Amino acid sequence: MTDISDFDAPKPPAWFGAAIPLLIVLLGAGFYWFITTDKDNGESENTSNSKIKLSGRLSPGQTYYIFASEVEVYPTNLKNESWDQGKKGPDIRYRLFWKGNAVFESITKDDSLIADWSGLSIELNWKDLLGKSVSSDDAIKAGRIRFEEGEKIEIAVEDVDIASDDDVGRHEIEMDKLSIGKNEFKLKKTASSAIRKITLRVLPVGSNIEDLANIMK
Amino acid sequence: MNVTRFLIAVSSLLLGLGLIAPTLTIYPQAGDLTWIIKIIAPEELAVSTYSILGVIQKLFQTGDIFLAVVLAIFSVFSPVIKLSFYWHATGLKDSKKFNSILQRIHYVGKFSMAEVFALALIIVVIKSFPGGSTAELEWGAYIFTFSVICSMLVSFRLDSKKR
Repeated sequence: MTDISDFDAPKPPAWFGAAIPLLIVLLGAGFYWFITTDKDNGESENTSNSKIKLSGRLSPGQTYYIFASEVEVYPTNLKNESWDQGKKGPDIRYRLFWKGNAVFESITKDDSLIADWSGLSIELNWKDLLGKSVSSDDAIKAGRIRFEEGEKIEIAVEDVDIASDDDVGRHEIEMDKLSIGKNEFKLKKTASSAIRKITLRVLPVGSNIEDLANIMK
Repeated sequence: MNVTRFLIAVSSLLLGLGLIAPTLTIYPQAGDLTWIIKIIAPEELAVSTYSILGVIQKLFQTGDIFLAVVLAIFSVFSPVIKLSFYWHATGLKDSKKFNSILQRIHYVGKFSMAEVFALALIIVVIKSFPGGSTAELEWGAYIFTFSVICSMLVSFRLDSKKR
């Protein structure tokens, strides 16, 4: 049993109470930080729940941006003659067909055997978009196609001329064989197609621009 | 707990919230060039919301150490020290000590409205920017103002008890 009474017990110094407002300030700030951090975590959980697959094969029911990033044609046309009577290379444009409808038409790339498109509405590099708050729908120029098993898409390449456009060829692609990102198709010349190579890019609709830019790296 | 201490506690709580809550939102615009900046560099036109501590942190990061230190003294340290003096004063029974503390409080108090002035200055500067940029006060600014008002009420109550 101790001999020290309440009266004798050491009292805290007078300035000790002055720390109370500081503690309340920290409490207020800590409370706000706690509730906002919790909310942020909740939001990120929601995002991860609805996370879109960014690699591998396509998922049924999911919509994808599909565009050709490169189309190469043989040095001669379907009649085995030089393009544009040998004056210039072909002016290449392609159209994407899905369920019998043209769902996308590219801009024309003049005088080239290898035409390329960035898939972006303005000719920037994908890495230029990293960290920017531009909407993917505004930025991407591609066909929007929903994947269903057994579905096919067709790409029709043309040589654009003032008088009349000439067919370069058409190529049908089974969507089951496509994967997210880059897909290359090397083709032999036939009587109906002078397309040498098609590089298709497939990007999931709904992903943010940063993920899309990373897929395109 | 007496009314004065309750007011100090409320003022402290509001100060803590007001320092970390959103205080100012800036909507940048670039006049006639806004549309092209939106395409080329949309991050330049991103809407930014800052808390008072966020502004201080940003100033430190951008190398404006002097401004950051001044703002930290005026908006964080000075109000906290003032509230601590208030709390200490409310517990004093010795009238000599009480009056001495009140004097110190008035000295520290000269700095504690400066943050409101700084905030007003930022808004005036941004509102006068070319290109139509605008700034709006967020709820954190009102919380901060209420904290200042509570602190003023405490000051009036203590002054009335001056012996």
